[in-house]
Amino acid sequence: MVSLQQVRKTYPAPVRGQDPLLAVDTIDLTLADGQFCSLVGPSGCGKTTILNLVGGFEQPSAGRIAASGRSVIGPGPDRAVVFQEAALLPWMTVEANLAFALTLRGGRPAANTERIAQMMEVMGLTGFERHYPYHLSGGMQQRVAIGRALLTNPEVLLMDEPFGALDAQTRSDLQRFLLELWSRLNPTVLFVTHDVEEAILLADRVVVMSPRPGRIVDDIAVNLPRPRTWDAVLNREFGELRRQVLDALRPSDSRARRLS
Amino acid sequence: MGHSWKNRPGPAAEMADVAAAQGLWERTRPGYRQLVPWMVAVTLVLVWAGVAASGIFPKIYVPSPLRVVRDGATLATSGFAGVTLLTDVLASVGRISAGFIAAILVGVPIGFWMATSDIVFAAIDPMLQFLRPIPPLAYIPIMIIWFGIGELSKVILIFFCTIPIIIISAMSGVRGTQETRLRVARCFGATRWQVFRHVILPSALPEIFTGMRVAIGVAWTCLVAAEMIASQSGLGAMIHTAGNEIRTGVVFVGIIFIGLIGYTMELVIRLIEKRVIPWKGKA
Ligand SMILES: Nc1ncnc2c1ncn2[C@@H]1O[C@H](COP(=O)(O)OP(=O)(O)O)[C@@H](O)[C@H]1O
Ligand SMILES: [Mg+2]
Repeated sequence: MVSLQQVRKTYPAPVRGQDPLLAVDTIDLTLADGQFCSLVGPSGCGKTTILNLVGGFEQPSAGRIAASGRSVIGPGPDRAVVFQEAALLPWMTVEANLAFALTLRGGRPAANTERIAQMMEVMGLTGFERHYPYHLSGGMQQRVAIGRALLTNPEVLLMDEPFGALDAQTRSDLQRFLLELWSRLNPTVLFVTHDVEEAILLADRVVVMSPRPGRIVDDIAVNLPRPRTWDAVLNREFGELRRQVLDALRPSDSRARRLS
Repeated sequence: MGHSWKNRPGPAAEMADVAAAQGLWERTRPGYRQLVPWMVAVTLVLVWAGVAASGIFPKIYVPSPLRVVRDGATLATSGFAGVTLLTDVLASVGRISAGFIAAILVGVPIGFWMATSDIVFAAIDPMLQFLRPIPPLAYIPIMIIWFGIGELSKVILIFFCTIPIIIISAMSGVRGTQETRLRVARCFGATRWQVFRHVILPSALPEIFTGMRVAIGVAWTCLVAAEMIASQSGLGAMIHTAGNEIRTGVVFVGIIFIGLIGYTMELVIRLIEKRVIPWKGKA
């Protein structure tokens, strides 16, 4: 479970003498265990900030954050993070990158070799063990990053626009692939994206934020059947959800539409 | 990155894509590229030989290449002023290596330390910036007064001339570590030592190597200057003595050897670099 209670985050003023910058304001959000939650909002509304707070990379200015039954005071192995860039370590082979968390936890005892090989296979990376990240395409690099995050079975998976830099084909491959892994390992997922379709397609729930200072303006349950394939997008219900999310994202637009 | 394809791609197809792109790059590189440096060298020597043979300048100003080769042979066998070329070369290389390695061993940790602590940075940086613009020649008299004209003064001089470069490169290497990579390590529960060992140190290596390459050039400048003023051995001393005796051919031999050795050291660093940080510039 992940919970944010009355969370605010202010950053020091970028220019001396100005007011401090209020990035996110009074966020209340609770994710049930194993829930897949998408977070959408305009650029600069504080999505990354929220992820950094839950990740423990930054401290909230007010409010409380808890994950896996504990107060968040810093980064921890119960919460794995995937960033927009794969952030692999170029001096390690693909396999070593994948096993990085295990290496940090004391060597790589034989007990893990099978687990690593299995994850390599699930990730479609078999045969690339000895390659280096710069030998791989962007999509494959991101797969390594996702595998690395999931290899330790984290309770919470935080993803910050992980597919934002990929082309459409690779992106949809990876979406399907993420859903597969999620249904198998069932972590609680907080998935930041600016792509409304992606948000709905993946999630049990789409949380929409306002422009800065970021507040939650809508919280939409997605009850489309699983397993989902990309043609769920063609569904009438999907269209309804999309309209709902877009409405929440651009309230002024929809008001104008209603008036005209 | 940013690959796209029509059919369903397996990872192998993606891989082939990347490989094909690299292969193309390799193939467009012309094969005679390796010959270019040799062609330039030969041309320069021919021009030099032409100028020397034309008699525009007195022989004593511009010795012919052949003359220089002959002087070199004499230097190698019977030596100059009682010292053979090999002894001079070894003396110079030994001093450089000692001072340079000491600068790395001391400078890299200082750079790391400055990058991780604001207080240490505040303590050392002003000193560093104050010392850096002082030309090495200015130190030489003090070095001689304090440490005499023996080996120690030269090694210490090299040490002081190169260490600021090493410190600054190590510091900026650490500072350039990608924030997300640090976060990845921290979110997997890495200890401070593990973060350093697995993320910060490898991130800093490319800049440290660049610093080393700059420093080795500076080291030669300092060394030759020092040897010219106070030394019985070394290439700088050899050039200096030969200059006083107007043995231009010997001076040329000295200059050529300094260049060649400097170049060799650069190649050695490049080789080590390729081994240690093959990912440089690719990520
Ligand atoms: N470290 C920081 N210092 C100061 N301001 C920041 C910092 N990080 C983010 N901000 C500001 O907070 C706001 C929200 O940023 P962010 O969470 O990155 O938005 P998003 O991810 O939704 O695009 C932005 O206006 C950004 O400029
Ligand atoms: Mg962001």
